[in-house]
Amino acid sequence: MSIRTGVCVGGTKRRRVFPALIAAASILTASNGTAGAAEDASSPSGAQTSTEALLQKLQAMEQRIKSLEGQLKKQQPAEPVPAAKPAAPRTGALEPGVRAQAAGETPGKTTSQAPAKAAGQASPKAPADPGMQPKKPILGLLDSPVEGLAFGAYGEVKYGAFRNPDAGGKWQNGFDAHRLVLLPTYAITPNIIFNAEIELEHGGIAFDADDKRHGSAEIEQMFVDFKIADQFNWRAPGIDLVPIGFINQRHEPTQFYSVNRPEIYNGLIPSTFMVPSSSIYGRLMDGLSYQVQISTSIEDFGSGFDLRSDANGVLLLPGGYAPGITGLSALHDSRPVVGDFRQLSNTMAYAGKLDFRPSFLPGFAGSVSGYFSPNVTPRGAFGDFGNTLGRASLGIFDAEFRYRVPDTGLELRGEYAQVFLGKPENMRANNDTDPTNNVGKTMYAASGEIAYHFPLGTILNSEWEAVPFYRYTYENLQTSGFAGTDANTPTGAGQLQFHTLGIAVFPSPKLVLKATYQKVINRDPAGAQSDSFLGGLGFFF
Amino acid sequence: MTSWIRLTAPAAVVASMASPAGAVQYLSIAQAQKQAFPSATSFAAIDGRAWKAQAGSQVLGVFVVDHVIGKHLYIDYAVALDTGGRVQRVEILQYRESYGGEVKENSWLSQFVGKTSGSALKVDRDIRNISGATLSSNHVTEGVKRVLAAYGSRAR
Repeated sequence: MSIRTGVCVGGTKRRRVFPALIAAASILTASNGTAGAAEDASSPSGAQTSTEALLQKLQAMEQRIKSLEGQLKKQQPAEPVPAAKPAAPRTGALEPGVRAQAAGETPGKTTSQAPAKAAGQASPKAPADPGMQPKKPILGLLDSPVEGLAFGAYGEVKYGAFRNPDAGGKWQNGFDAHRLVLLPTYAITPNIIFNAEIELEHGGIAFDADDKRHGSAEIEQMFVDFKIADQFNWRAPGIDLVPIGFINQRHEPTQFYSVNRPEIYNGLIPSTFMVPSSSIYGRLMDGLSYQVQISTSIEDFGSGFDLRSDANGVLLLPGGYAPGITGLSALHDSRPVVGDFRQLSNTMAYAGKLDFRPSFLPGFAGSVSGYFSPNVTPRGAFGDFGNTLGRASLGIFDAEFRYRVPDTGLELRGEYAQVFLGKPENMRANNDTDPTNNVGKTMYAASGEIAYHFPLGTILNSEWEAVPFYRYTYENLQTSGFAGTDANTPTGAGQLQFHTLGIAVFPSPKLVLKATYQKVINRDPAGAQSDSFLGGLGFFF
Repeated sequence: MTSWIRLTAPAAVVASMASPAGAVQYLSIAQAQKQAFPSATSFAAIDGRAWKAQAGSQVLGVFVVDHVIGKHLYIDYAVALDTGGRVQRVEILQYRESYGGEVKENSWLSQFVGKTSGSALKVDRDIRNISGATLSSNHVTEGVKRVLAAYGSRAR
């Protein structure tokens, strides 16, 4: 592939110049240093002067040894060390002994996991800059090998019975180690922060038949934030989530109560909706924050890499490819490729989100967000009648709120999402000779959820909480406005209703056990045949 | 690809020009002390992280600086206690992470005012959870509880 090769060659050339410069600079520095040392040795003329110089050197060495000894002592954990000076006060959280005094306290993320010492004894040597060196152990097992590198994790396990529409709606039992995500964070400086999400899905991947794994390993997020001011921060180009909806950006299983993510995020918003992107974000005032993002556009292409040409277009032969956007699964298969310069168009998309938490309504949080791509049609896109497919724009709008009524256990959530298709006649789904998956001018969904938080008291040294909930979701993925070369005979499978009822039990805010029953209804004469009764376990720490 | 460069270059320029000397720091310790105890004439160090605020010889309260981990990185915060051991003010001095910065907001921090070492100080009980910043709000709440346990009786 010529483009990729070109990029690589260019990169190599540039890389060769820089090491040469650095090498030259270091040689100069080193030779300066040698010259200086030579002058020092030759300048004293008489024997007296050289003896004095020697004595001075000996004294300096003695001092150096003493200071090194001191440092060594400080590093030994058993040695008590004077408390940090008032001049540099932000050098560590309260010592373990003091922390132990806090009644019933379980500080999961306090700074040091060292064994508690007697109260009043000073803490061990504290890091110079607390923000740079959180000694958070890796998953609670080992101290971080790199100072400043911290690991979080979240994950979900799901199991239970479900109706399989591909098996005629028969009930089947199953299990899914859906995802395990590692979250490395590293403060390069207090203002330059590296973040990533490394995700293993469905048990991971394997090439051996006896391993029986059919999942994925992926980089879901990878970016560096330049924190400039409260109102203005820059997220350098990397892989990031599109700022649309609440659950897309905060999709950890402790953020929602059903075993699976809310239905809107399974198509209309193709979560986890991650894209090559760069953004700015900040907090405009108390209760009002924003993010604006530019990203690689989603693509109306739902096939694998075998149907992408080396020219980064759609392969004409063997003929036919899956649409990325359909009236049955919405945008589920439309996320852009995040690697190897294999994107199918030059188009950039734009997204923005405004988050608000009005001070006059405590417990209320909401957001409005939007996404727009001027063109989602991939290079060389065609219909099955040989017609080429022209440009087609796509927009997404989302508005949602979450309201925890103060001083009660009551919580309400609501969301509305709509997708706008600029030119249905250019969508692959309307030109793929499948008359049932067509799309119209829009798709939309609305959902309402009610939940109640019941404290369960202290069990196993932790305060438990139970949250029964009910959520209703209506989705219409096949509205009017169809255009294209296909026959148009939708079965009614694009009009869906979801009744989701369940309970989430939180042994701690970091862990949740879930049970969810879901009834799915659509207008297809055969029915949706995808009801489920699932259990789940999720964690985030 | 050129649109990438065209559109991100201004941000890159701003980022490199506004090249931060320190972290995004909201208040220095001295500023936070002054805000918490405007009438204080001196702050006498109790230990490495706590000061006794005084106006002449009269003790006004205690000012404590501490930190907790938010999601991954430290949040520096300050707690001012009055002579009754009640929280007078909580301020976030430094917040480093990409998400969860809502704990800085006054409407949330003002909930701590008046709390004592006898208060529950539990998120979703006497302190509101912040939707989307669950870890940060829990950890700051735990931190204030810790400060009260350690210094609640020192201000009298």
